[in-house]
Amino acid sequence: MSTILIVFAMGFGAGILSGLLGVGGGVVMVPMLVFILGVAQHMAQGISMLVIIPTAVVSIWQFHKDKLVNYQAAICLAGGAVVGALISANFVQYVPANLLKQIFGVFVIYSGVRMVLSTRKK
Amino acid sequence: MVEQLKFSGVGFVIGILSGLLGVGGGIFLVPILVTYFEVTQHVAQATSMAVIVPTALVSSAVYGFHGNIDVSLALNLVIGSILGASLGARIMKKIPAFRLKQLFGAMLIVVGFRMVLG
Repeated sequence: MSTILIVFAMGFGAGILSGLLGVGGGVVMVPMLVFILGVAQHMAQGISMLVIIPTAVVSIWQFHKDKLVNYQAAICLAGGAVVGALISANFVQYVPANLLKQIFGVFVIYSGVRMVLSTRKK
Repeated sequence: MVEQLKFSGVGFVIGILSGLLGVGGGIFLVPILVTYFEVTQHVAQATSMAVIVPTALVSSAVYGFHGNIDVSLALNLVIGSILGASLGARIMKKIPAFRLKQLFGAMLIVVGFRMVLG
């Protein structure tokens, strides 16, 4: 029961933060899964991918109503992205967890630096 | 035609990063769309969301196939994050995210170093 509460709070926190800060939920969710629940790096990334889907669908629905989605660009981008993801998601299964954690750490640092810098351009 | 090829090429790179990191990749895609394709910030964010869905479907299928998805854990997170995301979007319109971004950005940098240094 307490685990369910913690997990729900994490999803809630990641959802609020990504809405509030304009970052994807993944950059918040993966470290939380790794550090709070002790989930392995590969598993954390897999879960993050799955959670992103319904969250993104909810957002797109809002954007679609406001006519903000450029579907012609999205179709080409998605075509390339699906091919790229197929290649790298298969490749990443053979990367050792420690190395993957370090690669992800670099991405987290990059996200943090971008966030801090974005407040200076105003 | 040339424009479509450019989009597909950019998409390919985003897909590689997305599958590698298990994240949506919006943090890379949105700035590229704004800077090189002259789309407005709002359209860029909305379009990037539309790209994330098929990419994440493919990635999570591959991760799942390799046994790297705990479905019940994911479902709980999904419920929390859908509620959180809609609430966050509403709060976003009310408070200036400026300080919060600085604080949270600093926190991310610390967390990132912890991951790198193990």
